[in-house]
This record gives sequence, structure tokens and C-alpha cells, in this order.
Amino acid sequence: MANNWGFGINEKRSIDLDTNNFDIVRKILEAEPSFYRCISCGSCTATCSAGNITNFNFRKVHHLLRRGEYQTLSGEISKCMLCGKCSLVCPRGINTRNIILNINRLITRQNLR
Amino acid sequence: MSYFEPFIIPFSVGVVILFAVMWTKFISWISALPKSDKKLIIRNAVSKATFAALWEVFSECLLHRRISRVNPRLWYMHMSLAFGWFLLIVAGKIEGTLYLKSPVNPPYVDVFFRKYFPEAHIPFMGFIMDLLLLFILSGLFMAVLKRFKPSVYGMKKTTKHTAGDRIALSSLWAIFPLRLTAESFNSALYDSGSFLTGTIGNLFAFLFPEHVLQILNETSWWLYSTALGTFFVAIPLSRYLHIFAEIPLIFLRSFKIRAAAVPTTFTNLEIAACSRCGICIDPCQLGRNDIANDIQSVYSLRNIREKCNTVENSDNCLMCGRCENICPVGIELNTIRISQRYKFRKNDNPYNYRYIGNRDFSQGEGKTGYFAGCMTMLSPKIIQAMEKIFRQSGEEVWFADKDGGVCCGRPQKLAGNIDAANRMMELNKSLFIKHGITTLVTSCPICLKVFKEDYKLENIRVIHHTQYIHELVQKGVLKLKKDNRKIFTYHDPCELGRGSRIYEQPRAVLSLAGTLVEIDETRENSLCCGGSLANTRLSFENKNLISKTLTDRFEATGAQYLVTSCPLCKKTLSRTSNIPVIDIAEAVS
Repeated sequence: MANNWGFGINEKRSIDLDTNNFDIVRKILEAEPSFYRCISCGSCTATCSAGNITNFNFRKVHHLLRRGEYQTLSGEISKCMLCGKCSLVCPRGINTRNIILNINRLITRQNLR
Repeated sequence: MSYFEPFIIPFSVGVVILFAVMWTKFISWISALPKSDKKLIIRNAVSKATFAALWEVFSECLLHRRISRVNPRLWYMHMSLAFGWFLLIVAGKIEGTLYLKSPVNPPYVDVFFRKYFPEAHIPFMGFIMDLLLLFILSGLFMAVLKRFKPSVYGMKKTTKHTAGDRIALSSLWAIFPLRLTAESFNSALYDSGSFLTGTIGNLFAFLFPEHVLQILNETSWWLYSTALGTFFVAIPLSRYLHIFAEIPLIFLRSFKIRAAAVPTTFTNLEIAACSRCGICIDPCQLGRNDIANDIQSVYSLRNIREKCNTVENSDNCLMCGRCENICPVGIELNTIRISQRYKFRKNDNPYNYRYIGNRDFSQGEGKTGYFAGCMTMLSPKIIQAMEKIFRQSGEEVWFADKDGGVCCGRPQKLAGNIDAANRMMELNKSLFIKHGITTLVTSCPICLKVFKEDYKLENIRVIHHTQYIHELVQKGVLKLKKDNRKIFTYHDPCELGRGSRIYEQPRAVLSLAGTLVEIDETRENSLCCGGSLANTRLSFENKNLISKTLTDRFEATGAQYLVTSCPLCKKTLSRTSNIPVIDIAEAVS
């Protein structure tokens, strides 16, 4: 309510999580249910080929996805090389590459780039 | 003289529709080929390739020789129908030509020759025609048997059909029994038959009075003509388009035209040439382990033709190449699958590797380069073994990705992201050229394949470390101590075996280091470990399931070590294996 008052001088800075679109998260969990098992241990991030060169971080991708921050997400995810090392080291057997491909597909489909 | 009779209408309409639709399709596909492919046609059309293609058309479209190597019973079924029918048409033509003393007659006169000229008794021709009909009927009997009991042919499953296929199949099955009936009734009336139709004709003559025979004869020729007409109309709508599509396919292929990851109309032709014989169903490991029964190449090509393919279906494939290896038509199934994935992904959020810039993580100097690959980085033992081998070889080696590097691009290509893959390839290629290497050794068969096929590395020899080790052993640089108490079994990685045709080198090396025992499905028929990067849908549990069925068989050989030459296979197999899984580099270092 507070950020909707309409008479502020500054631009609104609060993040209203209720207005975010969680449709994509739901669809991705549907497409790849193994994602439910993620414990955010960071093994994927530690081994990442792209992460070796840049600050790309699969755990951050997960975080952005869960928060519904798709614009930041689309920039992040385009750094992935799809090499699959993350899925090999994942202690929870998560099919990470399917998640990346699905996120890419859905943010394009829903024009959230 | 016009030979028109009403009963030929269904047949003639069918023929006209068939050729109109078919030619429209083929001409539009061939004219829409990219320029480079058209140049290939022009360059190779007047050459030995055309004769080779003609021979292949005869031996494959009619004799189906490749199937005979896979399954002799299945071969007889396909061959008797295709070659038998072809001979029947030729014999009919000869009869018409001889009797009318002119080679140019309306096609229906040759096809319905007996109906037109029951009095014609050309020596031997009646016998030959009956023999050919019997030949086809024997194949038809086998076809019906296959549909209800595929196990007779050693097949676990046969293809599930679409509506168009069912119409075509039913009319095809009806054609030859109807021809037999029609000719027999004709023979009952005019004594025009030989040993088969003559005998049945005598029986009919005994059973029915003449006026009934007249009606039955007319009806059965009508039915025969209708069955033919229905089949012809159904051909372009069904799998039977392969009968004609295979002919231009063979020619274009012998002119060195290939399918591409970004699909061209040649892909359409390959898809149309699939006969849905179902030979690709049983080798599929996803089907064998009951993980997916609708993704096999036959179904995926069918879905593409019916325009109902889904991204889920096209992604759920190991691309191990077992189906491509066995396909009797020689369709490039893996390339078609990649091009399907490309179609689904080409508009996706683009990948952006600008962040990589001109980074160079390589170390060392030397004209021999070593690209470990992402997967090898996860199995440092392989890298250590390779370093040891390089030290023994005395060669100075440039390590391309010692502290991380850019992926080779193959995983992105397999996922259909061709643009992303190309960008990665450029990055790596510029690195190789900058350091001026002459030989590139890689430990990963996935990288090997893409280096060889897509990088176009002129002046750089690309080899896998199994080849490198084999060469060192042959030169005597690397000395192996044979220890017969060491029992190895070897797993052919898909990308190294079927992908790059490297089977002998690893076996030669292992036989020098110890005893090699093998399972029955090896080399071209080797099984996938399940970890394939090509499948982005397969769950961890199902990967382990596939891997387990494989490691069980390796363990049954009594081997002490399961040797492979792919870091990904090593990782995947070691999850389920009870015996140590090692890379070939570890086995010899």
C-alpha cells in the first residue's frame, strides 16, 4: 500500500514480492521436479565452467528465479555453456541443464527478457 | 484403339493423384535446396556417383540388402513385396508389349492384362506371373504375421501406426489377394491361368455357374482396381512415400549432400524416406529400459511429418547413434534430431559469451596441444595420467585449458543452440591458431567429434588420447608391461566409437597391457552409458538405471577393471559399477 500512495518524490524502491509473476517458477518445477530437491549447496557453482571465468552462478540463478526477477535472470542465464559439469557434481541429482533450457524457453515465450 | 473400361477408373485416378502430389513435393524440395547443395548436384551429376546411385537404388529400394544384414526374415518380407511387385509390373509390361507388339500402351492395359486379353497365351508368361504372385503373397503372409507376432522376427516391438498408415496398409494387404481372386475368376471363365490362378480358377468353375462367375469376375476386378487406387492415394499421406522418396535421396546422397544442423529441404526428403520399418525401436536403450517408448527415431520422424513433434520428445534422446547405425535407409537421425532442437530453440533468449573476451587460460609452449575438456576437469586422475604420458613422450605440450577454459561447443550444438555453439567454437579456434599448434590431443570424445567435424582446423591434426597413446606404444616411446593377471573389459564411448569410428586403438593398447574380455554388444553395437550430454530430459535415476544394466554386464565378464576412454562415461559408469572404472590413460600410465 505504502508504495502505491502516489505522492512520493522518490521512485519507489520497495520490492513487492506479491506482484511478481511466479508462473515461470511453477512451470519449471513442473518440467523438472528434481529442482525441488535443491539444497543450495553450491556444488554446481563451484564447478561451473562459465563460473570459472565470470561471476555466473547457478545458485544465484535459482535465487533470482524463486524471487521472480526475470530480467536479471535472462542476462545471467545467457552465460551458461551447457557443459553439464554441474549436473555431474550435484549431490541431489538435479537435472540442471533442463532447468537452464526451460528458463530460457519460458522467459522468451512470456517476453520477460 | 482405346482400352477404356469403367473398372480402371479407381486405379487411374489413384495413379494421377499419386504422381501429381509426389512430384510437387520432390520438385519443391529439390528446388529449395541451398545453393551449395545445388552446386554439388551439378558437379557430381555426370560422374561415377550417378552410376553408384543407380546400383544403390536397385540394391536398396528393391532388394533391401542392408536389412538382410540386420534381420534375414525381415529382409525376405520387405524384399518379396518390393522386388516381387516390381518384377510383376515388369512382367506385365513385357506381356503387353509382346502381345500388342507395341511398347507404348496405356498403363492399365499392362496392369490388367489378363482381364483385357484372357485369350493371350504367351509361352512361360502365365507361369512367371503366377510364380511372382506367389512370391509376393508369401511376403504378405510374413507381413501380416509380423504385425501380430513381431517376436517371430526377433523384434520386441513393431511400429505403431497413424490413420494414413492404416488405410495404406489395409489397401496394400488387400491388393494381392484381390489380384489372385480376380485372376482366378478370369481363369474360371476363360482358362487364362497357370498353376496357381488356373487351379483356383478350376475350383471356382466347379463351384459356381457361369452367370455367377461373370458377376464375380467383374466385381473382383473392380475391387482390385479400387484397392490399387486407394493405396496410391494413401502413399503420399503415409509411410509408403518412402518407396519413391528413397530414390532421390540415394541420388542426392551420392552427390555428397548431407543433412545439416540448420535444416534444409534435404531433411524433408530424409524424413519422407523413413519407411517406419521399426528396426530402430529395439536398439534404443530408453525403450529397452522402459524409460520412454514414444521417442524412438521412427516416432520422432513420424511426428515431424505429422507436424506434431514436441520439444520434450526431441530432447529425450541419448543420441547414442545406435538407431542411425542400424537404419537400413541410412537416414542421418542424429542430425535431424539436432535440427529439430534448433527449430524449437532458435528464437530463445540468445546466449551471450562476450564476457569471455580474449581470455587465455592456457599454459606451456609446444606444438602439441592438449585440450582436456570440461568433463576431464572433473576427473583429475585422467589429467594426471596424461601429464605422466606426456612427460614420458618427451614432447613439449601446450595445455589449452589447464585452469579452466571455454567449452568445446558440442553440448550447445546437441541442444540445438547452433549460434551459441558457433561462438564458443570461434573462441577456441582462435586460441588454437594463436598458439600455432600442429597436433591437438583431447581426452574427451565429445570435444573430439566437434573439433573434427565443426571446427575446420586446417593444418591441425586432431586426435583422441587413445590414438595418441597407441601411436606412442607403436613408436616404442611408451613401453607397456604385459600383465596377464590384469583383466580389462572395454566400454566404447558413443562419440568415440560410432561417432568417430575409433575401435581398434584402445583394444590394441589394452591387449598389450593385460587380458581383454568383452561383452557381446561392442564396437558399432556398443551401448550408451546413460550419461549422454545429448539428453537434457533424462533424470538422474534413469541415467543410473541405464548405467546399471550396462555395468552388470561388464561385471559378468569377470574383469577386474572396466576401462573406457571418455571422462563422462567414466563418471556415469563408476556410479553403478562394483569394479573400478578407469580411463585408458590411467590403465597404461
